[in-house]
Amino acid sequence: MNEIKQKILAVMAAVFEMDVADIPENSAPGVVEKWDSLKHMSLVMALEEEFNIRFPDEMIEQLINIELIELSIKELVG
Amino acid sequence: MISMKFTEILKRNRELSLKPAGNEYAIGLISNITISQLKEVLELTLREGGINADVVVGDYDAIVQDSSRFSESHAVLVFWEAVNLVEDLHGKAYLMPSEDLDALAERVVSEMDFVLRNLKSTPLVLINRFSSALFYADPLREGPLSNLCKRLNEALESKVASNQIIVDLDAVLAKVSLGASVDFRQFQSSKALYSFEFFKAYAEAVKPAFMAVTGRAKKVLALDCDNTLWGGIVGEDTYSDIQMSDATLKGNVFREVQTILRGLRKEGVLLALCSKNNPSDVDKVLSEHPDMVLKEDDLVAKRVNWQDKATNLRELATELNLGLDSFVFLDDSAFEVGLIQKELPQVKCVQVPQNLSEYPALMRELRREFLTLSKTAEDQRKTEMYRQDQRRKDQASQFKSIDEYLASLGLKLTIFWGTQIPVSRAAQMTQKTNQFNLTTRRYTEADIQRMLIDPAYTLGVFSVADRYGDYGVTGMIIIRQDKDSPGSAVIDSFLMSCRVIGRNVEYAFFDEVVHTLRAGGINNLRGEYLATDKNNQVERFYDKFGFELTFDTDKGREYKICLQNYKPQYIQYIETHQPNH
Repeated sequence: MNEIKQKILAVMAAVFEMDVADIPENSAPGVVEKWDSLKHMSLVMALEEEFNIRFPDEMIEQLINIELIELSIKELVG
Repeated sequence: MISMKFTEILKRNRELSLKPAGNEYAIGLISNITISQLKEVLELTLREGGINADVVVGDYDAIVQDSSRFSESHAVLVFWEAVNLVEDLHGKAYLMPSEDLDALAERVVSEMDFVLRNLKSTPLVLINRFSSALFYADPLREGPLSNLCKRLNEALESKVASNQIIVDLDAVLAKVSLGASVDFRQFQSSKALYSFEFFKAYAEAVKPAFMAVTGRAKKVLALDCDNTLWGGIVGEDTYSDIQMSDATLKGNVFREVQTILRGLRKEGVLLALCSKNNPSDVDKVLSEHPDMVLKEDDLVAKRVNWQDKATNLRELATELNLGLDSFVFLDDSAFEVGLIQKELPQVKCVQVPQNLSEYPALMRELRREFLTLSKTAEDQRKTEMYRQDQRRKDQASQFKSIDEYLASLGLKLTIFWGTQIPVSRAAQMTQKTNQFNLTTRRYTEADIQRMLIDPAYTLGVFSVADRYGDYGVTGMIIIRQDKDSPGSAVIDSFLMSCRVIGRNVEYAFFDEVVHTLRAGGINNLRGEYLATDKNNQVERFYDKFGFELTFDTDKGREYKICLQNYKPQYIQYIETHQPNH
């Protein structure tokens, strides 16, 4: 697993209060019970801090699974 | 301020919440915008101060309803955002006719009234000043939104009770900067407005209020001398070369710092010296040096000698009858600061900055650590009262027995009952007294007021004086009669300031209390001791009077007595007065 994905999973684990091992590959709002609109805000805040980036407005609503999060981050840090 | 990342805060909180800590401190966070991340940040900020905070976030935009729901919490934080009083108010305010703005202001003021009334018995309520700064910051003219905020703030200031503290939101915004405080990206979608940086600064800004209301505020500032109070080294430099006047650049800074320290003293902070010098050198500066702003009278105690500073601080704590956790230690030496941090981690250490220009600002910032929530006349006189106590102790060494000494003091005890008691001082004593405190129940002024009109309660306070001076109001008892069992009562609270410990006034007072209770038809009395880290000196207080132990665990003890078996202490040398009793 690449380093970016590992970091994303660590952030998700902290925000959704679960262990990294328990985060499903198909994670999404609705799949992960705690992933509601408030936790989504925390997730955005935590990812930005972790990667030292700032998501533009339109990206924020797209960050709804691990793959999209990873792609968006790669675009910003790339 | 906590410097952790958000994920680290979340992890740390999760670890801490798994431990069975007990003594949870419940905080309701009520708001008309989305501030859910403040929960985690505030919890960790307070936990670092020793408060096991459990923050519950109220429903979105339900301030009025939530003010009832959370009124039984230990504290409530009201985060009322002006721009969201009405959807898009920051834009609409320009379109609204003035009578609509008036009607809006009236509506919010009446809601405010209701909310503050609901929260009048909550021990601590923090409510933000209304601010338009994030949406309207035109230095040249006022806009309708800033006008509205001004009106609401005037109303707020006139309505808050003594347990309700106004938080100057603009001061927090200024500290973080407007740009770094705000994050508009999720404002339209989720009504979230503030950045993580802002939440960290906000939590730090309100922390002292929580520390004060739970008896954790600092009380003593222990000061080094050379290069802390003045520039230069007394005894090495010539006497006239030490710097604390506007004759030199450096001297200016020390004069300003001394002026700030003197201001702290006036607010009730106890200043003490803890320095390695020849005592005669320092005494000479204190009494003779024309540039000294601080005078001998401003200092409550001194340890000027060559022994290590940890020992000196321990001695100061013993002398003042205060815990080391209520001390702040200020020194220019990294060695001394490091030593105290290692030896006495409960003491807050502050080092004089390398760049002296930063020193006064650091001292102004330190003022927050000493917050007291009720201002009383006792605060200003505190140093004076401790100093009188020193003179008594000097006398004490000349007597053969402690009773002979106490008899020589000419102790006078004055007891006030019911509505005669000074309410704000009574509340302050319940909030600040830790050592001689049987139950450590903290009460607000509103709580005391409520007890005063409830016939089940009997409240008494006492003041103590002797031939050296007046200690002021220093002790208190709260007794509650059983509703379903006439003639029976329980001692809800019994406390005494550490200033008057060791004079047996508590015995003389308790004799009078029992006398009064019996005259009022009480025959059976119960007492409790609830153990804390600090009050073990009163663990067996009730044993002395013939109380019978009915329950005993490591958390506390319960006692009862039939008052005809009460053993009075008859302290002959204390003269007791009870005005209009």
